[in-house]
Amino acid sequence: MGVPKVATVWFEACSGCHMSFLDLDEDLVSILSKVELTFSPITDFKDYAFPELDVGIIEGGIGNEEHLELAHKLRKHCRILVAWGDCAVFGGVNTLRNWLPKADVLRRGYVETESTVDGVIPIHEELPPLLDKVLPVNEVVPVDVFVPGCPPSPEVLAYSLVSILQGRTPILPNEMLHFD
Amino acid sequence: MEANQKTVKIMIDEKELLVQDGITILEAAQRNNIHIPTLCHHPALSNWGGCRMCVVEVDGSPKLAASCVMPVREAMEVVTTNERILESRRTVLEFLFAERNHNCMFCPQSGDCELQTLAYELGMDHLTMSFSFNSFPTDVTSEYMTIDHNRCILCGRCVRACAEIAGTRVLSFHNRGPRNLVGFDLHASRGESTCYGCGVCLQVCPTGAITNRYRTHYAVKGHAKDWVAKESLCTECGLLCPTTSHVHDHTLIKVDGKLSQGNDRPDRGQLCYKGRFEVLKSGGERLVQPMVKGKDGTWKTESWDRSLALVAEKLKSIRRAEGGEALFGLASSALSNEELLQFRDLMVKGCSAGHVGSLDGDHFNAVSKAWELKGEPLKEASWKMIPGADFILLLGADPYQTQPIVSTLLRRAILETGIPVGIAGDMDCMPPYASFQFPLKEEHLPSFIKAFRAEAAEAGKKISKKSKGSVKGKQEAKEVAALVKEAGLAKSAKKAFQEMVSAFVLSTHPLILVGEAVTGLKSPSAFQDAMKLALSKGLVSGNVLRLMVLKPYGNSAGAWKLGLSSNGGSKAKDSWKGGLLCLGHPKDLDSKAMAELGNLDFLGVISPYFPETLADCAHVVLPKPLGLESAGTYTSVDGWETGFVEKVLDPPEGVKDSWETLKSLADQIGFRHKFKTWEDLSQKAQKAIKSWRPASS
Repeated sequence: MGVPKVATVWFEACSGCHMSFLDLDEDLVSILSKVELTFSPITDFKDYAFPELDVGIIEGGIGNEEHLELAHKLRKHCRILVAWGDCAVFGGVNTLRNWLPKADVLRRGYVETESTVDGVIPIHEELPPLLDKVLPVNEVVPVDVFVPGCPPSPEVLAYSLVSILQGRTPILPNEMLHFD
Repeated sequence: MEANQKTVKIMIDEKELLVQDGITILEAAQRNNIHIPTLCHHPALSNWGGCRMCVVEVDGSPKLAASCVMPVREAMEVVTTNERILESRRTVLEFLFAERNHNCMFCPQSGDCELQTLAYELGMDHLTMSFSFNSFPTDVTSEYMTIDHNRCILCGRCVRACAEIAGTRVLSFHNRGPRNLVGFDLHASRGESTCYGCGVCLQVCPTGAITNRYRTHYAVKGHAKDWVAKESLCTECGLLCPTTSHVHDHTLIKVDGKLSQGNDRPDRGQLCYKGRFEVLKSGGERLVQPMVKGKDGTWKTESWDRSLALVAEKLKSIRRAEGGEALFGLASSALSNEELLQFRDLMVKGCSAGHVGSLDGDHFNAVSKAWELKGEPLKEASWKMIPGADFILLLGADPYQTQPIVSTLLRRAILETGIPVGIAGDMDCMPPYASFQFPLKEEHLPSFIKAFRAEAAEAGKKISKKSKGSVKGKQEAKEVAALVKEAGLAKSAKKAFQEMVSAFVLSTHPLILVGEAVTGLKSPSAFQDAMKLALSKGLVSGNVLRLMVLKPYGNSAGAWKLGLSSNGGSKAKDSWKGGLLCLGHPKDLDSKAMAELGNLDFLGVISPYFPETLADCAHVVLPKPLGLESAGTYTSVDGWETGFVEKVLDPPEGVKDSWETLKSLADQIGFRHKFKTWEDLSQKAQKAIKSWRPASS
């Protein structure tokens, strides 16, 4: 095996997990020197043709058709799929909308927002439709490693990634588990 | 579970243990420092066995047993942890998480949650089943608590606490199956229900289902792990309930009662709405700098030195011109014994003031006179005698307003032992529970108490002569009938009245609780009659009267015994020219004594808050700490105990301790206190309270 190939995606979430990962600061350099980052929100590639990957990382819940498709695609192409953060693991703060009808959620977001004038709910063939409910990743595809936290601390993200790169299945110790 | 002295030999995790027979496996494990996770179990509540978090393997049985309800047995072999047990616990936990909304990141309880802690402990890093996303109501009709059924795991702790500790039985399980939820009364909202807002449910709730509406936001409360827990006593009403106060960044975050089955107090560690919630309320804008009213009537901040000098100068000049008789000093009975004694000394000895008293002083004129009446030192009954009483009479008392935990004990006494309780006066406190209820106006209470005495005397005679079949004399019967009529009782109430009196007469351990509606009466005779009524049933050993006064303030008993609340022969209010007020509680400003302060040449106020309602008549205001912000001793409502309360919070910057303020004033007036240090003052105050005797008439 050469340099492990890693891809990260950002689904229905705030990108806080990626931010937390970037918070590793100088440690980021040593981690990134050990992997090939093929695809990531940071790279901003628009091409979703994943190569064969060693590690796929998902931040965020499955909230729309695009997330659904990408999750399946990523699962197909990677050996180890990691769910980063509470949104990917449990659905997270996005699940607030799961207690409401989708139409109400869209209307509230695009029409009834206090700052919106003449709002329209965007419908376009290029826009992925919202799912009725946002789901944790493991409700859609099997996940190998779960790293809950909102966001997981940089140390926890590094611990889990380094463990994987070293060929171990990371099981977060009690003090690293956090749901908030 | 019935426990006895026999011991049995059991094995827990291959450790041989000798444990008391009859206890549960969980208790045996806990006593030997073996950890078994629990969720629906609470040490202060009865065992439930509902959540199956505490399952263990017993004698290799394929069926796991709930250790919180399974009693130990000779030669029992218990395994507390193996893969099968952990799997079972994790599954239960996952079901709990999946069933309702347990998303920690938008829950105010995160970080202070037993469900969350268990998830971490059991390494639950994801769910293997789908969330239900069922929606349940949220009840925000309480001023104190939010009840979010979406966060409820139906462990039933609140239901048990409400029945077993609060004695209220407002909470119960409603609906069935997946719609099951904990509800108030018969599907009422919190606000409409008969809930008394004690918050014991909140304290035992292991999740965020019942949360405090004060200090909810992260920005205020921070992380639970950063809180400092301080042991203290609640001084709100005089029951001196032990508390644990959680403090973060100079802010009181929450107050917990010391819930347990075995503390030596009949309350089992319950707190009431005052001790748990009211203390978290702000009493207005805190005063952090002395303020002086200018000639144009506007208030301006002033330095401590100048303000103190001004107060001393004004008091001195009034004394010079009009004599000390024209001066008064009024203190709140919420203050500590030390503050009260120092204040009394300053005003009585330092200023020779004509009137020195407490804001609730008028309640004790009647009481102190009654104590004098008997001529020998009697002790008031203790509130701890409530569970042992076999008849309780409330005269003009509203314990829910004054000492809420007393109302809890009464409810529990009624529900658990079925003792008769009679209430005369305000009916708000416990309408559905009492055996005899006489909603009476204040002015009817004296006749009612008289009628009670007369009827009791007659009934007593009748019982003693029962064998001879004698009936009561016509004359006495007429007198009682007239008094009953005078007390405003309807004819239909007469039978209930007689039944109540005969319950009193037949009782061997009666207890009479007298409240503000009686002690606040102008004439002391009603209280004296109540005292005579109590005396008619004899004394408890140690010269203890079968009567207790439910006093208006947290340290009323201290104020009273330090001589601040019994100054009956003081100068009339219209001769007051100037004086000093020492306040300590937000409710001080609502007191009757405040409203009666007329036009004064000078009024100095020492207060934690700016006294808005006194803005017109006061001239100088000096900041002081709140009760929690300084150490002090407080005397229990029955006068039996004096407790030391440590400083829980730091006062805001710029606020001087009352010890310093009062001492500076004394210095400037040219008076020297007999105590040199605060410790000395504290000892003297406690000695004075201990050696208190009723003044002989």
